[in-house]
Amino acid sequence: MITLGHYLVVSGMLFALGLAGVIARRNIIIVYMCLEMMLSAANLALVGFSRFHLVNGLPDYTAQSLVFFTITVAAAEVAVGLAIIVALFRTKQSVDVESVTKLQG
Amino acid sequence: MSVFTLEAGIALLGLALLMVEAFKPDISRRTLGLTAMAGTALALVLLPFCGTTQPGFMEAWHQLDTLAMFYKGFALVITLLVLWLTLECAPYLTRFTLDGRLAEMFSLPLITCAGMMWMASARDLVTVFVSLELVTVSFYVLVAFARKSAFSLEAGVKYLILGALSTGILVYGIAWIYGATGSMNFAAIGEALADPATSKPAALFGAALLLCGLGFKVAAAPFHMWVPDVYQGAPTPVTAFLSVGSKAAGFVVLTRALDAFLAEGSIIGSEIQALLLVAGSLTALLGSLPAMFQTSVKRLLAYSSISHAGYLLLALACRESARFDISSSGIVAFYLATYLPMTVLGFLGLGLMRANGLGEDIKDFAGLSKRNPFLALLMTISFASLAGLPLTAGFLGKLFVFLGLADHGYWGALSCAVIAAAAGFYYYFKTILVMYTVEGSDTPALTISMASKVVAGALAAIILVLGVYPKPLQKVLAADKPAIAAK
Repeated sequence: MITLGHYLVVSGMLFALGLAGVIARRNIIIVYMCLEMMLSAANLALVGFSRFHLVNGLPDYTAQSLVFFTITVAAAEVAVGLAIIVALFRTKQSVDVESVTKLQG
Repeated sequence: MSVFTLEAGIALLGLALLMVEAFKPDISRRTLGLTAMAGTALALVLLPFCGTTQPGFMEAWHQLDTLAMFYKGFALVITLLVLWLTLECAPYLTRFTLDGRLAEMFSLPLITCAGMMWMASARDLVTVFVSLELVTVSFYVLVAFARKSAFSLEAGVKYLILGALSTGILVYGIAWIYGATGSMNFAAIGEALADPATSKPAALFGAALLLCGLGFKVAAAPFHMWVPDVYQGAPTPVTAFLSVGSKAAGFVVLTRALDAFLAEGSIIGSEIQALLLVAGSLTALLGSLPAMFQTSVKRLLAYSSISHAGYLLLALACRESARFDISSSGIVAFYLATYLPMTVLGFLGLGLMRANGLGEDIKDFAGLSKRNPFLALLMTISFASLAGLPLTAGFLGKLFVFLGLADHGYWGALSCAVIAAAAGFYYYFKTILVMYTVEGSDTPALTISMASKVVAGALAAIILVLGVYPKPLQKVLAADKPAIAAK
């Protein structure tokens, strides 16, 4: 029997992996993929919570509606994000985080 | 006519300008900019006359209380100023854009403005998320707008990565709050948190993550590291927009969320309160202390913006105070209303210096009083108010925060805030001294357009008038108190 706990553990692992990737990886594209993974982790948690929060015997759909918004917003974010990363690559011929260290106090 | 038609109108005007620009490339940027400004000004004029009634189905996620109306007006004012600042800085900005055009620079602020207005009315976490993302994604583009400048591009990438990170944390926090309380609605969350049966660890985990996500947006420590780099790299009008508009939008959401988290009898109330006090004190200190060692004025203003976020967080941490006739959310709104003219004036001065071919370092301010006494006087008023000199608008905001902290007996936080404010006096007056006492190079006098003089003079006048006679603004915000108490 799969319980809410299982979903939350998987979503927590996804979130932690994503966060670790954002902190540790040097390639901006991979960092960006890890960020998307964090959003997926949040979506999984939302769907899980929604499925196990019954209202009149049916799942509560409020959280699932947020999942649709998250997916849409993530798509928009990826479109804008990749455009900026491509512009960066054109200027610097690199997508390494080390290539963005010009601004310093 | 209801208020949401204004929001829809602003967003539609933004889209229309985008289309016009795309299909009629020969249209002059002046026409585009003035159309955008006319639309924003019209919405600002119509705002007080709009009814606060709305269709019943919208009640669930959209509210129109005093605070919402105030922040809607705030978003329109800052958008209007930013559009004008963009037009003023255009000759300089276009050197760094593709084909020397400013295409989306006039439509994106409108769309951002619609997002901020919508956020001011948000009543549940779904609305908060969608409107917050509308603002954030627009800002990704705006920050990286001067894409031929390596600095702007770098700032854009940094803002993109950290903004997306904060979004991830925010949504995960929303998921856990929903899991703990079973609702997305702020009022319902507040009720669920007052129920001892609610799981405390889950609620606390979710609330802390949500506050971390919002902390990124308002530049609260320890999530403030992106601010100096992004503010320095972004085009000056965008920096002003980020510093005032984005921060205000973040704070209205924080106000709503904290009304729920710190509601009467909330099981996580004391922890969240402690978290706010620590984060606020840290933010004020980590903003003010490094600012003393900055050589770039734009970077200095970025650090100052961080320390102001710290004072605002401390204001939110002090709930109802018997001394004032406005609530803590009213004090935050008042602080932001005084923060708007002084920050915009500061960035306007920087933009004008840039337009005259000068740099943004403190040493470029040397001898400014000789070259353009008017600009030097305006910058002095702006900096004195940012530091919190009595008789300027900035003083009263800080005074309210400090008195609130003293009334509640938060002496640790108060001492941190006082140290930060003292450091603020040091670095602002250091810059003012450079303008008046250090001999500058013999570059020719600065030329400032008539329109700039009028707008800058008006902003300076607002700072001084609010500093001496703040009653009208307080009266607007005092109307808000019973509404909060009734909730």
